[in-house]
Amino acid sequence: MALSRKTPIERIEYAIIVSTLLLLVVVTVQPILNLLAVSLSEPAKVPGMSGLTIIPRGFSFEVWSVLLQHPNVQRGIFNSIFITAVSTVIGVVGTALMAWGLSRPGLPGRKALFILVLVTIVFEPGIIPDYFVNKRLGLLDSYWSVILFKAVNAWYLIILIRFFEEIPKELLEAAELDGANPFQVFWHLVLPLAKPALATISLFYLVFHWNEFFRAMIYLNDQGKWPLQVVLRQFVIDGDKVAIVGANNASNNTGASQIDLRSLKAGMILLTIVPILAIYPLILKFFTKGTMSGALKG
Amino acid sequence: MTNRDEAMISPKFGNVPKLSARRRQGRLAVAADGWRRWWPYYVMMAPGILFFLVFHYLPIWEARIAFEQVRIVPPNIWVGIKHFQVLFSSPVFWQVLANTLIISAMKMVFFLPVPIIVALLLNEVRGGSLRKFIQSAIYLPHFLSWVVIAGIFIAALSPTDGAVNNLLGMAGMAPRSFMTDTGAIRWVLVFTEIWRSAGWDSLLYLAAIIAIDQQLYDAAEIDGANRWQKIRHVTLPGIVPTIATLFILNAGMFLNADLNQVINLSNDVVRSKIDIVDTYVYRIGLQTGEYSLATAAGLFKAVLGTMMIVIAHFVSKRLTGKGVW
Repeated sequence: MALSRKTPIERIEYAIIVSTLLLLVVVTVQPILNLLAVSLSEPAKVPGMSGLTIIPRGFSFEVWSVLLQHPNVQRGIFNSIFITAVSTVIGVVGTALMAWGLSRPGLPGRKALFILVLVTIVFEPGIIPDYFVNKRLGLLDSYWSVILFKAVNAWYLIILIRFFEEIPKELLEAAELDGANPFQVFWHLVLPLAKPALATISLFYLVFHWNEFFRAMIYLNDQGKWPLQVVLRQFVIDGDKVAIVGANNASNNTGASQIDLRSLKAGMILLTIVPILAIYPLILKFFTKGTMSGALKG
Repeated sequence: MTNRDEAMISPKFGNVPKLSARRRQGRLAVAADGWRRWWPYYVMMAPGILFFLVFHYLPIWEARIAFEQVRIVPPNIWVGIKHFQVLFSSPVFWQVLANTLIISAMKMVFFLPVPIIVALLLNEVRGGSLRKFIQSAIYLPHFLSWVVIAGIFIAALSPTDGAVNNLLGMAGMAPRSFMTDTGAIRWVLVFTEIWRSAGWDSLLYLAAIIAIDQQLYDAAEIDGANRWQKIRHVTLPGIVPTIATLFILNAGMFLNADLNQVINLSNDVVRSKIDIVDTYVYRIGLQTGEYSLATAAGLFKAVLGTMMIVIAHFVSKRLTGKGVW
């Protein structure tokens, strides 16, 4: 009914608006779909394939199977999952516990602690001092350098504090009157109430740690500990062919070395974003809500 | 301080005699009582506080090597501002600083309007599922790492089989190697930034648009306003505070031209055009081993950056009511 009242000009306007946005969708998604098409094509047909196509030439899982059997890639997958899982758990637990204390208005020293956190947001002395702290603590070349370093994120902490502060005071006081200690209140009351907020910051940490590469690159010399992002960088950005096809295969013309480098690179890039795509519906749900409500409240 | 004052007037201490000696005892008692009540919270916060002290404050202490001569056999020697003098007399450093400012300025001018336009367009889309589909697609790149994005764009900008040059070829233009083109590489940074975050950032403006009072639109409708008049006279004024806030905060981050982006899109051919302070620190520090000079450059940027962001925060707070924290 509403549409019937629209004038022709308004309909043309609407068509222009929608096509502009759909063009944006194409620009965003096409480069990724092109890589997918390249990685799923028969390797022999890849040379000369256009960058515009999103349809594979022939169909083959050979690239993916070569990648998934490659020891460096397998190590990378394991390392990425391990580092992401452990640092997310440590980050969420540390952040939630600290946010609970900082959300209590009567806490002695609350203001000082807030300043302690805020200073770290505005002042960062840089990567060299960070590197030396890691060195001094003996963390260099160990998983812990990447996992522990800056495990509690100041921004996520503030988000969680804001959320905890909105829990009705009466609820907390009632629990305290019933004789519950702060640990019990936290465990039985605050955590269940904060599930959406906890899910949000868990996803924040998850995405952040999965995508982390710079610290892993500078703290981990041992290639066996590299997460997927660093393996990807060595292969795609630095163009290190030997790293991906293996020293034995690089010189002779067998196995992986016969596959066009372009398709291996495409597959490697996609492999690295598979987990992000897998949790993307959750990301959309929680990130969007978190950002919207934050913007509205702010 | 206010906490203690509040505790003092709590009924528990109402009958403490007003003698100075007693009062001091009372204060101790209050502190003791406070501790009895609050220690569990400090136990729970301990890991977090420890993380902040060790991983954020220890680096500030380590940054003193900017003022020291590093020796293989400790201790280091205090040399004052010598490294800063070397830094400020080095043409490379000024080039790097200029690059940082140029790249930030380009991003500010060409990036900032894009998410605003996207949000305005999205707000006009009426079909709920069409809108959701568009949003789901354009938010995605925000969650990809710069390594991945660099990989995607190295492929898309390839002179032989990249999408962009394929398009140029269809238009009859000669292929161009954007990634190794000193005239193009800064635009690659700007465009990849737009590709990655313009969609996601539009969400911030969209939230502001949704918060606009529907009655304003109804009133405009009654006055016979068309789509563009409503956008101009209702929507845009409604999101001006958000635009101002994000503009000011971006200005505060001017020295952060994004290390992760540059380090992955850089190469030997174009380095001189996009070498920023952060990549310079990384290169001379961790790759060449001039720790003190690199730390000095990092500290210079940190101090200047802190000043800018604190100023930005207060300006933003003053003008729009919203700040960084």
